[in-house]
Amino acid sequence: MNSAPHGKTAPKTKTGEKRDFLRLDDICLKYGAKQVLFGVDLEVAEGEVVVLIGSSGSGKTSLLRCINLLNQPSSGSIVIDGDVLFHAEESGNGHMEIPKAEVNRIRSKTGMVFQQFNLFPHMTAIENIMEGPVTVKKQDKKQARERAEELLASMGLAEHGNKYPRQLSGGQQQRVAIARGMAMDPKVMLFDEPTSALDPELVGEVMKAMESLAETGMTMVIVTHEIGFAYEVADRVVFLDQGVIAEQGPPSEVLLHPKHPRLKSFVERFHDSADLLRPFLEAKQSEQAE
Amino acid sequence: MFDFSVVTNNAHLIWEGLLITLYYTVITIAAGLLIGLIVGLMQLSSSRILAFLGRIYVEFFRNIPLLVILLWVYFALPIFLGINITKGWAGFIGLSCYVASFYAEILRAGIQSIDPGQTDAATALGMSYKQRMFRVILPQALRRMIPPLAGQSIIQMKNTTLLSIITVPDLLYQASYISSFTYRPMEIYTAIGAMFLILLVPLTLLARKLEQSGMNVK
Repeated sequence: MNSAPHGKTAPKTKTGEKRDFLRLDDICLKYGAKQVLFGVDLEVAEGEVVVLIGSSGSGKTSLLRCINLLNQPSSGSIVIDGDVLFHAEESGNGHMEIPKAEVNRIRSKTGMVFQQFNLFPHMTAIENIMEGPVTVKKQDKKQARERAEELLASMGLAEHGNKYPRQLSGGQQQRVAIARGMAMDPKVMLFDEPTSALDPELVGEVMKAMESLAETGMTMVIVTHEIGFAYEVADRVVFLDQGVIAEQGPPSEVLLHPKHPRLKSFVERFHDSADLLRPFLEAKQSEQAE
Repeated sequence: MFDFSVVTNNAHLIWEGLLITLYYTVITIAAGLLIGLIVGLMQLSSSRILAFLGRIYVEFFRNIPLLVILLWVYFALPIFLGINITKGWAGFIGLSCYVASFYAEILRAGIQSIDPGQTDAATALGMSYKQRMFRVILPQALRRMIPPLAGQSIIQMKNTTLLSIITVPDLLYQASYISSFTYRPMEIYTAIGAMFLILLVPLTLLARKLEQSGMNVK
């Protein structure tokens, strides 16, 4: 029982007075015999922008994929907007059977953006954005199309609605993917290294789109290697190391005055290359150029 | 040397045979696709038992000669089950089950060739298994599967000639019947071969064209 201190309380939140916005308790994750997360707690408040950093293999992407249950943890609990998405105790006794339909419903409260965009190649940009609302939420097609056009315009892609993903640049595809996630009116947007697969000159436009999203008060959890971006946009930076949260706090603290030795060396790499704000300077430059 | 009057004189018999051949081609392809889809999805199921049963089905029908299957369904199955099976049903069951094992493999491979990121994206939107399959995975996979499906279906049309062994009056059966009373096998079998060529060469060309457009879709 001690091993999962919050586990018992999580299922009660449905009746309790406090609705957790996004809360992960004691998340453990195994891929076969290999354990990658060792009891991670993460609570995200409404409107908060949390950036997960860490070297590769630290478990940051695995953790992000747990939030919408693309990865099924071996134990722990996940609560999104007051709904329990997952709950299982380490002993295997307190496993809560949550019906698949319920899992899908709760999942649709999150939007996700992937490293490789993962747009549906057989649909146009507009159809990609409409797909969730029409198929999952059974929204009226006309209404969904109007909303999709709005979202596309907000991403600066109003002209590209009828193009197929292969006709768009990486940066444009990723912005369509952001709009696709937003179309579900999610409570929280999850970003899995959204700029890692982009050509350097296209990184800025995607980061700008994410920055303006953050300004609208959207709750965001972002996995990224762009330290400069993390510094600018994050309310809180979480450093993962070997499957546990090693350090977290405001970016000015975590990134400029790290305490954990491994975080120190992780951040120093960026100091040395004077890289900290490079992406942002570039984004600003391209903004002025337009 | 050739005297094709035996063909034209018996055109009505050949025409009947052709209709039977086309009929069995179409219905066994349709049934085979349905069974193949189910077996293909079974093979991809996360349930080990379902996946295993799907695998068994494929290996069973893929590794027994079609002629043996047809003879077994027509002659052995009725004894085995103690029921009557007409030659039509026996042919339908044997051909459908046989081609389904190949379709199942094509479907499985086609679905597995789709980037797992597509499943991730569909799942993240809150789609159910059925929605993911029918909205995202199958529309993409089917495009890639068209060339092998077309190829297998052409083979299926040729395989219907085996029906003549269990006395279903298909094109080949009619041919052997006509040659039995005209004693002109050369003209008759030449004509039958030419008919298959005329039917299947355009289809093969079409399949090749689909293959090229399928590549562009990727």
